[in-house]
Amino acid sequence: MLTTLATLAALGIAQQTDTTLPVRAGARLEVSNFGGEIAVKTWSKSAVRIAANHSSRDRISIDATEQYVRVKSEGRRGPSQLVEYDITVPTSMALALSGVYTDISVDGSQGEVTAETVEGSVKVSGGAGNVSLKSVQGEVTLEKARGRISLSSVNEAITATGISGDVSAETVNGDITLTQIESANTDATTVNGDITYDGTIKDGGRYRFSTHDGDLRVAVPEKAGVSVSVATFNGDFSSCFPVQLSRKTKHRFDFTIGSGSARIELESFNGDIRLCRPGQLKRDKHEDHDDQEEE
Amino acid sequence: MNDHWTDRLSEYLDGDLTAGERTALEAHLAACGVCRVTLDELRRVVARAQALDDRPPAADLWPGIAEHIGVVSLAARRVDGRGRRRLSFTMPQLAAAAVVLALFSAGSTRLLFRNRPPSPTQGTTAIMTNVGMSPLDARTAASVAALEENLARNRGRLDTATVRVIEKNLGIIDRAIRDAQSALAADPANAYLNQHLAQETRRKLELLRQAATLASARS
Amino acid sequence: MPYRITHMELTIPRVATLRRDPDQAAKDAETADAALAASGDGRAFERLYRTHVARVHSLVRRMIGPDHADDVAQDVFIRAWTKLSTFRGDAAFGTWLHRLAVNVILARRSTVGTERSRIDDSEHVWEGVAGRPAAPEMSMDFEAAIGRLPEGARQVFVLHDIEGYRHEEIADMLGIVTGTSKSQLHHARMALRRHLER
Repeated sequence: MLTTLATLAALGIAQQTDTTLPVRAGARLEVSNFGGEIAVKTWSKSAVRIAANHSSRDRISIDATEQYVRVKSEGRRGPSQLVEYDITVPTSMALALSGVYTDISVDGSQGEVTAETVEGSVKVSGGAGNVSLKSVQGEVTLEKARGRISLSSVNEAITATGISGDVSAETVNGDITLTQIESANTDATTVNGDITYDGTIKDGGRYRFSTHDGDLRVAVPEKAGVSVSVATFNGDFSSCFPVQLSRKTKHRFDFTIGSGSARIELESFNGDIRLCRPGQLKRDKHEDHDDQEEE
Repeated sequence: MNDHWTDRLSEYLDGDLTAGERTALEAHLAACGVCRVTLDELRRVVARAQALDDRPPAADLWPGIAEHIGVVSLAARRVDGRGRRRLSFTMPQLAAAAVVLALFSAGSTRLLFRNRPPSPTQGTTAIMTNVGMSPLDARTAASVAALEENLARNRGRLDTATVRVIEKNLGIIDRAIRDAQSALAADPANAYLNQHLAQETRRKLELLRQAATLASARS
Repeated sequence: MPYRITHMELTIPRVATLRRDPDQAAKDAETADAALAASGDGRAFERLYRTHVARVHSLVRRMIGPDHADDVAQDVFIRAWTKLSTFRGDAAFGTWLHRLAVNVILARRSTVGTERSRIDDSEHVWEGVAGRPAAPEMSMDFEAAIGRLPEGARQVFVLHDIEGYRHEEIADMLGIVTGTSKSQLHHARMALRRHLER
């Protein structure tokens, strides 16, 4: 669907914008695109550099005040067709990026990041404070972020690694993979997909993992004190280490490990739930396949 | 009878005295028959309090509550002799409606609500049979139906790829809802299944809202 | 298709022990109803109402008397409906509802306002309660006697001996110090002992 830049150049209608503006600390960047790409990286200057490739039918409007730098793609009639942004900002600048058929990427940010697209992927490395990434038909990937993190897709997978803070991940048709997470509050839910969590389990933390059609794989570190509640309709539960059930009803059972101060809720309607030690989850995937053959 | 020992009998009963105070009081009790009787009476008061029965109100308060929170109950319609069907909306109802409305531009709002917001009482039967969902509140069912209707009308605004993605995922969620419903048919009181059904229905609502936002953004 | 725990039962014998909690099924159903009600299911909320109205109404009656009990009990449920999303399912629904009811009752009391001081230690107030009652039926005596206690002592008594709150919590709720709560409780109990069966 996206024509390449080479094609544009070949047609002789490619245009370029390249402008640099000084900015104050505390200003935010807002980019609104339709088709194309938004790629943001950072530098230590107190300035924003906006470079873009686009067809001659599209325009870029830049609006800058002390509080914000607002970049918008506009077409001559209706939305713009294809604009590829390459933007460099100060590390701590807050980013609000949105597009429709747009891939969004951010690298090196230490500020708030909000990125939304419909048909496109969102890939962020960095982010602090509020990090909210959304796509409908596109993967959402995050690493090295900290703060209040909210990741959402509809038709694709969510992957996060090396992040710390409160995490909320939601998709309908995709896997959710959370590794190297440092969190006291995580909520991951999908309808059609697996969920993998390999991160800290903190005292007093709350962790909730829920899927309809998919497996849950959660790592529980040895010293962790957790109250675990497992609910499934048609799935198996298994654990790499011994557990003692305290309460069992049809479809739900609970058990406690150690102090029981953290709470984990595991729900899978049609899939298996497996608890293991950190680092063991990947190895375990292969074992599961072997076991299924025996059944 | 207001000596300082008597005054402390309740605290003694409730275990609020220090070890030293307790010892002293017990020593006194050994010698004071009246205090022992009083202590016993206090114990019985507490026991009596804990054994009190709860009595429901003489009148059924539910119709008043239901009307206030905008929930239709068959009992309410029978009981209310005046036969009123007030369509005043309470804060929760308005808030819910506002969420739906806020997602629509002014143009689409006209499409969705022709003359006024959908009455929870009117379309109930029709909506329930069409949507084929579990017996959720008419208001939720109305929201889902209204948004589905809107999506059907406005899907031309979204490109085919997006429409396909949304419809595919609505299908995935519908399948999950049907799974939960048939499991519930065999085990209706099951807490997990009930919660799961509610969760998947909420998710459907969210996806429909998202679709509505996308469609209206293209207008 | 029933639930199965295959790996655990086969590989780790004697570790899986089950203690069945008979009340848990009922509590689970309530938590589920609360979740449904939170997403707008009026019928689920009606079920919760039916289960808890007697206790809520009794609490209201005992705290503020029979005159406005119906209105205030309705207010409790209406408020619970709007606050359902804050019920996290950690504790039993009844516990959460009760705390909400106490808040509604106390909030109303402070807006209605009484000129008479809540903590009324004067003798004549107590005499009305401490006298011998005429009515024969025992439980009505006791409830009626509670109703005749001065307001502050009555509320402390209801909250402590009937509802089970601690003095620290009651002091917090009523805006008094713990010492006052304890002495009010004691006065209430002393007055009520004459209304026990003989």
